[in-house]
Amino acid sequence: MPDMTSLSVGDRLVYPNQGLCSVTEIKTEEIAGQKLTFVSLVIIETGAKVKVPREKLEKNGVRRVSTADDVKKVVDYLKSDSEKASLDWKKRARENTARLSEGGLLGLAEVVKGLQVLSELRPLPPKERELYNDARHLFVEELSAAMGVHQADAEDAFDILLFVPGRDRPKRTAEEFAGLAGEEDELGLEGDLIGIDGGEEPETPESEVEKAEEGESEGEGEDEEAPKKKPAKAAAPPAAAKAPKGKKTLISDVEVTMPATLALTENLPKKRGRPPKPKPAVAEPPPPPKKRGRPPKAK
Amino acid sequence: MIRIFTLDEFDPALIKALTKSLYTAFGVGSEHSGAVTVPHGQQEPYDANKLLDAMPKLQALADDKVLFLTSRKLAPRKLVSGEAPTLGLSRYGQQRAVVTTATIKNVADNVKLLARYAMQEVGHTYGLHHCLDPRCAMYPQWTPSYALGEASFCTYCRDSSDAKIRTTKS
Ligand SMILES: [Zn+2]
Ligand SMILES: [Zn+2]
Repeated sequence: MPDMTSLSVGDRLVYPNQGLCSVTEIKTEEIAGQKLTFVSLVIIETGAKVKVPREKLEKNGVRRVSTADDVKKVVDYLKSDSEKASLDWKKRARENTARLSEGGLLGLAEVVKGLQVLSELRPLPPKERELYNDARHLFVEELSAAMGVHQADAEDAFDILLFVPGRDRPKRTAEEFAGLAGEEDELGLEGDLIGIDGGEEPETPESEVEKAEEGESEGEGEDEEAPKKKPAKAAAPPAAAKAPKGKKTLISDVEVTMPATLALTENLPKKRGRPPKPKPAVAEPPPPPKKRGRPPKAK
Repeated sequence: MIRIFTLDEFDPALIKALTKSLYTAFGVGSEHSGAVTVPHGQQEPYDANKLLDAMPKLQALADDKVLFLTSRKLAPRKLVSGEAPTLGLSRYGQQRAVVTTATIKNVADNVKLLARYAMQEVGHTYGLHHCLDPRCAMYPQWTPSYALGEASFCTYCRDSSDAKIRTTKS
């Protein structure tokens, strides 16, 4: 685990489920007689800003961008004949949620590959199709930053392993997945995970998922570097991260109230269904202010 | 607006068919905005990344897409995991893309495949990723089944592209 005390302004980090961000400010403030160091981050894709107590960074799974070594491990993993995803959707949902929040670059690769191989057995249900795309999006973004290449090269670099050139994808049989099913319902997760697979998600209504997405309008001919592009559909920014680009930190008016800050940061990794542990009794963050840009209409 | 700039000579009927397919696919206007010359130093097979960087600045609005069309070959890209066949390339979430007709046999009779390549590259500029559905234009282009598909997106990609276009429109 990277040491978050050695952070400096300009460092690039990865916020689980949100993607690349960079450190814009590190400041120690005194709150109720206690000194606290806050790290301000801007999520590169959306321009949204987040301010988090430094101790919370690691707890929230924030990490440094993967290294070339990590990339090599991921390539080896993608080439390997790895374990199949569980056929039990509840178990799968739980595993994928954990991978996204604490699995690092390899975790993203596992989600993409796991769902992809599963899709060779049967079509993914809508929620998992969305999850597949979100994981793919985060994976491409980080891979491109880690490799220092454009996103197209990053996506193609793993897709020539997942969709081998000149070959069509194999058809899978349930037997290949066997041995992984059958453990269902011993986990007592029903209550927690219901809704992930097609029903409604208990928190974070879909309509809130759209973020401050515009603002990135590059003129033709402007120079660009690799890590820059459009947001993933459902990689919802944290409540506080929905501020339009260039605006002040959304939680700045509540930053001295620990409960609000905690609620915000605690809430982050929950986007795609709760982890199986009981939910701490934490207040919900205030509803995000409406931002510009209308949400897509339902069809 | 999706603006096509040609780097080589093409039959106007082919370009017309291509703009029509793009309009149908994205619901965004598409036109042939002119011919441009590839700057010195770019040789066939083109290095698609360098080509995209080297092309001169063109008249286009911020939310326009710029699609370069060439009949020359694009060199396969050497990536960390191997070589990627390169039938087109784009800058994700940005403006520019290039597509080649070099690998399409008798392109006049196979506008559909050209349209699929173009749809994928333009789709990437709107932030779409590769898709699991072999019938969809966002499926990886180097697979054998790709050439068999129609010039269309699956429902998922179609909805994603609609949503992106709506939020980027100025
Ligand atoms: Zn592609
Ligand atoms: Zn698709």
